[in-house]
Amino acid sequence: MKSRYIAYFLLLLVAVSCEPKLDDYTPSAGSADFSKYISVGNSLTAGYADGDLYLTSQNYSYPNIIAQQLKLVGGGEFKQPLMFDELGFGNKRVLQIVQPLDCSGNPDGDPSPMPVLAGGVPDQRNFTSIAANGPYNNLGVPGAKSFHLLLPNYGSLNPYFGRFTTSPLSKSVIGMAKESNASFFSLWIGNNDVLSYALAGGEGDAITSQETFEATYTMLLDSLTANGAKGFVGSIPDVTSVPYFNTIPYNGLVLVDQTDVDKLNLLHASIGTGIVFNLGQNPFIIEDPLAPNGKGMREMVEGELLLLSLPQDSIKCRGWGSQRPIRANFVLDINEIELLTDAVGGYNETIKSLADEKGLAYADANTFMKNAKSGIIFDGMRFSASFIRGGIFSLDGIHLSPRGNAIIANFFIDAINLKYNAAIPHVNVGDYPGLVFP
Amino acid sequence: MLSVVCTLLISGVYAGGYQVGLHGQKQIGMGLIGTSLSLDASSMFYNPGGLSFMKPSFSFSAGMSPIRSFTAFRKSEPSAYTAMTDNPLGTPFYFYGAAKINDRFSAGIAVNTPYGNSLSWGKDWDGRYLIQDLSLRAIFFQPTLSFKVNDWLGIGVGFVFATGKFDLTKALPVTGANGDGSVNLNGSTTAMGYNVGVMIQPTEKLSIGIDYRSEISMEVSGADAKFTVPASLAGNFPADNKFSTTLPLPANLDFGLSYNVSEKLMIGMSLNYVFWSVYDSLIFDFETNTPALPDSKNPRLYEDKLIVRLGGEYTINDKFAIRAGGYYDPSPVNEIYFSPETPSLNNLGLTAGLSYKPVENLSIDLSFLYIMGAEADKQYTPDNFGGTFKSRVYIPGFGLTYNF
Repeated sequence: MKSRYIAYFLLLLVAVSCEPKLDDYTPSAGSADFSKYISVGNSLTAGYADGDLYLTSQNYSYPNIIAQQLKLVGGGEFKQPLMFDELGFGNKRVLQIVQPLDCSGNPDGDPSPMPVLAGGVPDQRNFTSIAANGPYNNLGVPGAKSFHLLLPNYGSLNPYFGRFTTSPLSKSVIGMAKESNASFFSLWIGNNDVLSYALAGGEGDAITSQETFEATYTMLLDSLTANGAKGFVGSIPDVTSVPYFNTIPYNGLVLVDQTDVDKLNLLHASIGTGIVFNLGQNPFIIEDPLAPNGKGMREMVEGELLLLSLPQDSIKCRGWGSQRPIRANFVLDINEIELLTDAVGGYNETIKSLADEKGLAYADANTFMKNAKSGIIFDGMRFSASFIRGGIFSLDGIHLSPRGNAIIANFFIDAINLKYNAAIPHVNVGDYPGLVFP
Repeated sequence: MLSVVCTLLISGVYAGGYQVGLHGQKQIGMGLIGTSLSLDASSMFYNPGGLSFMKPSFSFSAGMSPIRSFTAFRKSEPSAYTAMTDNPLGTPFYFYGAAKINDRFSAGIAVNTPYGNSLSWGKDWDGRYLIQDLSLRAIFFQPTLSFKVNDWLGIGVGFVFATGKFDLTKALPVTGANGDGSVNLNGSTTAMGYNVGVMIQPTEKLSIGIDYRSEISMEVSGADAKFTVPASLAGNFPADNKFSTTLPLPANLDFGLSYNVSEKLMIGMSLNYVFWSVYDSLIFDFETNTPALPDSKNPRLYEDKLIVRLGGEYTINDKFAIRAGGYYDPSPVNEIYFSPETPSLNNLGLTAGLSYKPVENLSIDLSFLYIMGAEADKQYTPDNFGGTFKSRVYIPGFGLTYNF
């Protein structure tokens, strides 16, 4: 009798080896065919980051992240025109602890992590053609504007395309895309149509006209869908939302000494600009030939933006922005910003209506990035659009970090799932590296 | 056979929140009822009023209940990510010693572990910025005095001296050459509370108990906050920082009823109301704050909950008694503030127990508890992290009672 009770009891203990089980998530391709995916676009699509295109940044490109997930729903290999090392063309930035210096070259303030040019000599093979190893699935070309994708000789104009085009003088990016006969494509193009203008402070280059953009985009989509392929397109983020244009505040001229204030006031009174300085934060002084005071300079107003390329030592030591105006090529003024915003708005209307017309998935990356600017949280990681610390953008302040790419890849996956009734799983943003601090 | 057993079992976590109800093998065997029972010295915890109804002159009881708990997680769709805890064995224990001073008074001391949590999601899991490992344990020392007012009424009071310690590790989303940064928070403290109970036995067969255990607020100050971050960020996360925090151990109001149906069969029930709403938020107040390290306030917003328990005992003969029971313990955790640090679901517990008396005075008590919890989708919205949780807990218990 005793042994029987104990036997029953031991039976209960057997249960100790059972672990709880949850049903697996079941991926599905829905109504799309992902067997051959190609991505068409610019530097964002190529995986450019930290000021260059390099091996690791390419591996973390959003198309490559998406392609790995597509493998769960019938997707094939995704080949990228990879660089041979971590230096690319030699412009990559890394974070290093930098000691700030005063105007005499003496240490001034606490050392902090800043982006500096990575040392080393790039592999020479980065500069030679790898077309023979193609065809490639990622056709993202850094620097490409929308209409560049149609240029038959673009391989001779853009070294990034020159590396992998099979025919630098006679084959356009879209021509190569068409040759690949893909079943699924992505097109995210148009950023450089406004960004090049913005990077020149509105003083060089030109914003692509709405007519050109619409005609180009129509041709691109006609070509990509000619074989019946499905795909997704992304709207153009407002370029002025990236850290490159939002790191130096318009009123970042901080005066702590009354003598400095007096000196500046005296100087500007003698020029007759009518500008008065106060202790604390002051707007920077910028070039403006149309300034009402007739002196070709004025205070910046809220909403105007300074470029990250603005030399900080000139501000500190050479009186830029205080004694003399900051040159216009470092400034986006209200008019320029309005031109940029209008252009992006127009492009995005075109993209949305053409996507609808062609039955393509549309991802509103513009709205998404606007939301990201005020801060987004994934799995306990807090992201914002601030430079370096924000985590979304890489060290160039324009392109995405690996985690930023993972976030946008998930956002695109949502658009694909919605449009094609697919179930492509997200990636874990935390699986991708953050910016590496020394 | 194993697979059949496995499919029959559902899931659970061992107790609501971080409360642990494992304080006597006999009670565990009967669905953790105990408020109206005066079995032995363990009454000191369940209802000090019951101690004076204890029959022997001296009673000693000791035992432990190793907890094997598993929580499975699947991230919110559309994610295919899954994880499983690899929890260290939890080891709640108890020791009770009590004596009858005279016909009216009984006294004793109880040492047990009514609150605790032992959790490990691992270093690399996807929720690592919320929690990696957590160890939380409170040990209560409760000197107790019980007074038998008359044949049918007993009252009792215990003074609780609690010691507690905790150790929490999570990753920080800052990346260095060696990967993620991390923070370890650990500290210990002591606090006081009380336990009062009333036992009423209106007839030979019926027993009624009411017990109230006070809230004990575990306040920790000057505890260690160790940050491991890249050198260039060390200024933002001072390496040997200190912090203060408070973890409330909620009050309990219990009501129990038991009835001797026959010489051999006893059945009982109890209602345990747990005042979980005191756990409003988990605040870490750092001694040194920086722009990157403000004080951390994490909403919890737990809700008061009622646990319903049923159980019974059947005495087979002089040597053997068997027990069975069950309870329903709804999750006190707020729907949108469900952190994987305390993945407590709606639990249905099933229990079984067995006592064997090799000699008159000694009882070997065994119990087994498994808890079936409802699979549920939960979110911790402040960190935008969530998914489906499902847990399962197995708690074999072993104890000895010696009366004379």
